[in-house]
Amino acid sequence: MLDAAVRYPPGASHPVTTLAPDDLAAHRRRYGERWREPRLIDTIEYLGLDGRGGGRFPVAAKWRAQLAAGGGGVVVANGAESEPASAKDAALLQLRPHLVLDGLAATAEAVRAFTTVVWVHAGALASRAALARAVAERRRAGLAEPPVQLVVGPRRYLSGESSAIVRALSGGPALPEFRRVPATNRGIGGRPTLVHNVETLARIGVAARAERGPPTTLLTIATAAGRTVVEVPSATPLWQVHAVRHVQAVLVGGFGGTWMDAPAFGHVHAGSLPLGLLLPLLDDGCGIGHTAAIADYLAASSAGQCGPCRFGLRAVADLLADLVELRARRRDTRRLHRALAEIAGRGACHHPDGAVRMVASALRTFAVDVRAHLYGSSCRHSGEGGFFPVPEAP
Amino acid sequence: MGRQEGLARLGVDPVACEGIGICQHVAPMLVRADSWGYPIVSNRPLRGAARRAAEVAVASCPRRALFVDRPGRSRQVE
Repeated sequence: MLDAAVRYPPGASHPVTTLAPDDLAAHRRRYGERWREPRLIDTIEYLGLDGRGGGRFPVAAKWRAQLAAGGGGVVVANGAESEPASAKDAALLQLRPHLVLDGLAATAEAVRAFTTVVWVHAGALASRAALARAVAERRRAGLAEPPVQLVVGPRRYLSGESSAIVRALSGGPALPEFRRVPATNRGIGGRPTLVHNVETLARIGVAARAERGPPTTLLTIATAAGRTVVEVPSATPLWQVHAVRHVQAVLVGGFGGTWMDAPAFGHVHAGSLPLGLLLPLLDDGCGIGHTAAIADYLAASSAGQCGPCRFGLRAVADLLADLVELRARRRDTRRLHRALAEIAGRGACHHPDGAVRMVASALRTFAVDVRAHLYGSSCRHSGEGGFFPVPEAP
Repeated sequence: MGRQEGLARLGVDPVACEGIGICQHVAPMLVRADSWGYPIVSNRPLRGAARRAAEVAVASCPRRALFVDRPGRSRQVE
């Protein structure tokens, strides 16, 4: 889909690239015309396409649920990409906006929806500009597809969560909500609502064509030197994507992902990641230190609606800060483990679950460092390990 | 899907819940408090006395945060 690596310097939202964004003509030259395939759902099911926003939920199953609720619903393209280290969705929106919009139109046809929305963060200026251009171009070209509405959400971590989008588009605040009935049954204004990540939609856009090629995965590799988006065949083991030498561990799948040590991460296949995002840590960095910084960011990003998330994540972040500062005692690690066990699975959304997963995997992966911080007089590490700088807590 | 799956379960809406704690007192067999006073509800299928205790807990919540999930209604798609 991208054909080349796309590099974002530290702190930048515009890529350093010689690739120009595809306009409608360039898009048609690259991919050809989209098929108006009446049985696209069967193709999607055959390809085993799943959600690339982190959930990996099968696309065809979501479409079936939406169809079972009767047509006339809404399809939302989620381009919020709240994960600060990720840039794959931005790269798609900025370079291949028409592929995402093709996927959106194809999905709307398949589930008989009349309304489509693209949801992006207020801060994503480059993505918004590329999208607005592409939507205007399609309107001028008179493409037979439902009108696309571009909606800008607040620049908050959780405003990219799918129930928060449904709530905001129903007139509420952009905060996650607890749903007993899935949005595919009753979503925006009571209408069946389908929310797909933009990479998922781009893959649907590719699936709706004759030339498909082998399955690929988009990955962001985020380090102190910036973020790079690459596209690799899904069967690629990660040691081919990122060198294992001098790498102590990798945080796989973003801030709510899993820490894996260097030999282990290399054997994971790119296509099996819940979210295509790698944050490598070199030998000289302290994994516990970065884990504490991320935990603090996630605690501060909580919507504060559910008690276990609001109080639990703060407690976990404070205990980790004590550990980093060599203030923690053994009973504090027991309290930490108990807090993690109590928080998991108890929020309206999966934000606390991701935080728990990340911290629990750090305690396993950096067990030696945990002991050094508990019983030693100093941390064993001298540097930052070239790790992606965790943004200031909001 | 076995018979177990068809039975009702107690659930809590964590957004509506404010950790007031009445449920923990009226139905201690089904609800216990976490470190911050918020309810951890049992996910066991409800039968007999447990079913009646769950109904009492649901009725006792001032925030209407507890509910009994009826069989045949799926909770999650994504």
